[in-house]
Amino acid sequence: MKKILFILFFTCASATLFAQSNTVISFPIGLPMGDINTYIGKPSFRGINFDYRHHVNPNLALGVNVSWHVFYEELASDTYTAGTETLTGKQYRYSNHVPMAATVSYFLSPDADIMPFVSLGIGTMYSRRNTNMNLYTLEEEAWNFLLQPEVGVQKVVENVGLHLSAKFNYGFKAGDELTEAQSFLAINVGFTFH
Amino acid sequence: MKNKPILIAALLLLAGCYPGGADFAEDTDVVYTNYDETYDFASKGTFAMPDEIVVDAEVEDGDVTIEYMPDIFADPLLEQIESNMEALGYTRVDIEDNPDLLLTPAGIKSTTFFYSYWYDWWYGCYYGCGWGWYYPPYYTVSSYTTGTLLMVLTDPSQGEDSPINQSKVLWLGAANGIMSGAYDVNRATKAIDQAFKQSPYLQTN
Repeated sequence: MKKILFILFFTCASATLFAQSNTVISFPIGLPMGDINTYIGKPSFRGINFDYRHHVNPNLALGVNVSWHVFYEELASDTYTAGTETLTGKQYRYSNHVPMAATVSYFLSPDADIMPFVSLGIGTMYSRRNTNMNLYTLEEEAWNFLLQPEVGVQKVVENVGLHLSAKFNYGFKAGDELTEAQSFLAINVGFTFH
Repeated sequence: MKNKPILIAALLLLAGCYPGGADFAEDTDVVYTNYDETYDFASKGTFAMPDEIVVDAEVEDGDVTIEYMPDIFADPLLEQIESNMEALGYTRVDIEDNPDLLLTPAGIKSTTFFYSYWYDWWYGCYYGCGWGWYYPPYYTVSSYTTGTLLMVLTDPSQGEDSPINQSKVLWLGAANGIMSGAYDVNRATKAIDQAFKQSPYLQTN
């Protein structure tokens, strides 16, 4: 944990040293899709997103992304049947997702007042689904192969700016616990440091 | 250590992000039922049940001492079980009157202890600088108690078919939840109603 904090600190610190880098800290609003949406129908306002991009030239940047999203829903008492067994109770559902990706970004007009960009991330996403009833939890995990297209805009004044983007996280089907692809759209609102 | 408050604030903020879960003891209540699908409940009509609920049994030198739930708690539960059985079409009879089915209720209480600890960190420079923690760490001990109400239906005539003179469990209803100090009898009677409600196959003629 301490190591991660150090890495994060130096990543952020070094971001201010090199003029050609672009660091984003943003708060994502997660809109569940596909299998996650079937499991939890509610959008998530819980999570955090970090992006670091290093500019190869004013248009093109290579970088890394890591974020955390948690979807949550409390279900009213309901009855579930499997074979001759029946169980009634309240259910608490959690779906945690940590996408980690290497990214390629293209800034369409880097000198403009508002800079639009497109980005593609490739990597992995850790997904963990917990279904809690009584004092027990059913835990299902997956490491999904991740594709992460993103479109957004940045408005920068001197070294700091605002960041707004839509990032689609698509984790391909993986493993035998979570048997479906895991996908959601994240609307990121945050700050960028150049 | 100047950054420590910031670090703690950041951790608290992240912890605060994590969504809640169960808020009240009732939120942990579950009702579980299971049955023998080969058994023909519809052809039965009478049942017998005791006037007490067993909460504990101690075996000492081969002697079994049985402990019962106090009547003030047991009576409303027994009444609830009886009225549910009658609503399904059964008639309560005495144990001597050759009942088709036996219903035996039991209450089980179980307490789980757990402990947690944390270290208080320091950073200082006396003979060189370094991290460390104050010793001893703080420990906290907590516990929770869960209560289970069990209802079991058996057919006494099946005992003759068993080499150890025991009859199979035909229906099991179990209600479990965290016990609160309030001894809210409504939670238990609601659970009894739910157990019968989710077992429509018990219906008899």
